[in-house]
Amino acid sequence: MTERRAPPDATPATCPHCDAPFPTDRLRDLHVGHSHLADATDRERTAYEDALDADEDDLRMFQYVALAALVLVYFFFLMTYAAVT
Amino acid sequence: MVDRRRGARSAARTDGRKRGLRVAAWTVVAAAALAVGTSGVLAHAGGLSNAAPDRLSVPAWLFLFTGGGVVGASFLLASFVTDREFIEYVHNYARPVSLPRRALTWLGRLVGLGGLLLVVVSGFLGPRAPLESAAILVVWVGWWAGYAMTTYLVGNTWPAVDPFRTLTLPLGSGLRDYPAKLGAWPSVVFLLALVYVEVTSAVADEPRALATLVVAYVAVTAIGVGLFGSATWFERVDPLARIFRLYGAVAPVRRTDDGYRVGLPGTGLREDLLGDTSEVGFVVALVWATTFDGLTSTPLWTDAADLVVPAGVPAHVFYALVLVAGYAVFIGVFYAAAAFSRRTAPTYLTVDSIMMLFAPSLLAIAAAYHLAHYFTYFLGLSPLVVEAAVTPFSGGVANSLVVPGWLQAVPVVSVLLGHVVAIWVAHSIAFETFPSRIQALRSQYAVTVVMILYTMTSLWIVTQPELPTPYV
Repeated sequence: MTERRAPPDATPATCPHCDAPFPTDRLRDLHVGHSHLADATDRERTAYEDALDADEDDLRMFQYVALAALVLVYFFFLMTYAAVT
Repeated sequence: MVDRRRGARSAARTDGRKRGLRVAAWTVVAAAALAVGTSGVLAHAGGLSNAAPDRLSVPAWLFLFTGGGVVGASFLLASFVTDREFIEYVHNYARPVSLPRRALTWLGRLVGLGGLLLVVVSGFLGPRAPLESAAILVVWVGWWAGYAMTTYLVGNTWPAVDPFRTLTLPLGSGLRDYPAKLGAWPSVVFLLALVYVEVTSAVADEPRALATLVVAYVAVTAIGVGLFGSATWFERVDPLARIFRLYGAVAPVRRTDDGYRVGLPGTGLREDLLGDTSEVGFVVALVWATTFDGLTSTPLWTDAADLVVPAGVPAHVFYALVLVAGYAVFIGVFYAAAAFSRRTAPTYLTVDSIMMLFAPSLLAIAAAYHLAHYFTYFLGLSPLVVEAAVTPFSGGVANSLVVPGWLQAVPVVSVLLGHVVAIWVAHSIAFETFPSRIQALRSQYAVTVVMILYTMTSLWIVTQPELPTPYV
């Protein structure tokens, strides 16, 4: 059911263990770490750990933005309710 | 799934787990605060659904935006829960319960057959006034409102209760193979046809018409079971069995290969719940069918019909056109959202696969919307059902229950809770599927926007005054 198909003009990063295509190297490295950790080479393990770090950074950034958005949503409704009722 | 270097450092694991729990606990507290903070306002609006709009304590647009805001905020809050182990723990949390299965099956069959007999006999021979007829009350209030609620609030008992299944059991295992390429599409057509009949014909308040429909349903089921066999028919085609099976995935009590289990509501909505795209089509049809049912009793619908029908479009054609067009729009929007997810994630999963991933979360919404639509209706008329069921041939004298005002908040709270559960289900399925956590969050943008829009639409419908469906 989780069928993958890369666009014909793309150069996907392919998983060396199961041939699944991924849009970026980082996603491929994470996939290798999640799904084939037992068979992974040392190099793939290092790549996985680097990808995890990069992912963690992006995630942290996302959460700062999400926090800011929550504060904005809160004040938007606070002000609107104050103005309307 | 292995989280951040879990294999290498087990000490980090406990730390991470604790942090995950702490974040989750704060998230729950914040969400609850948000819900409590907004529900005061919402309760007013819900309680006045049949009153003049100027008595709303806030303007209608602000009320709808608040609903949308709660759903959007839930997505933002969920983005702080990123510990895969924790998400999986919540999803797999279930305890086994032992139930006397054989006894319950026979009890269910007895109740189902008794109900069917009551409906048919009282429908043809009993009183004709809708509120006195056991057929009308048992089918619409007892079964379609009340019983259906138990399938998503408790568990799916329909396979045992289903009188159509019990009656057709002796028909054997079928003469032909079901054409596999049809998938669930016959089920979709069947469901939309049932909704069409329900909305446009007299079956909602004419006992004779309803009893005829029930007998026709038995006949169609008998032909279908005769052709394809009981197991295939109820698994693939019968829309009622499918609806209750999908509702049952929302419920806390679920039947698994090794007995019954009690889990958290909504956690039966797994990424592998739907087998193919046609089953996604059925889930969307279910969501649309409930919306259509509500839409046709809004003042907007009456205005539209007043415009279109006198201009020469037959009412039945108008209803059918909107039913089919609306379904196409719903499918189109969901497809577009999946295609958009594919880009924002980014992922090479096909659009069909993404639709299959996120469609189960819509079921929490469908169930919540059903509850919103029928809760006070069921409660109000429940004394009449009991009376009509014990005196099917004489008109009833029972009064309907006066539903206390605060219970009128249930529809609004239920729509919101349903969407919040849906957000969580989409969140956990995304984390289960995508190797990167940021990718899992980015994959949910489009679905979240669709859910916000759909919450606002649903809230709009449940707070509209209810009018009789015009021209039919």
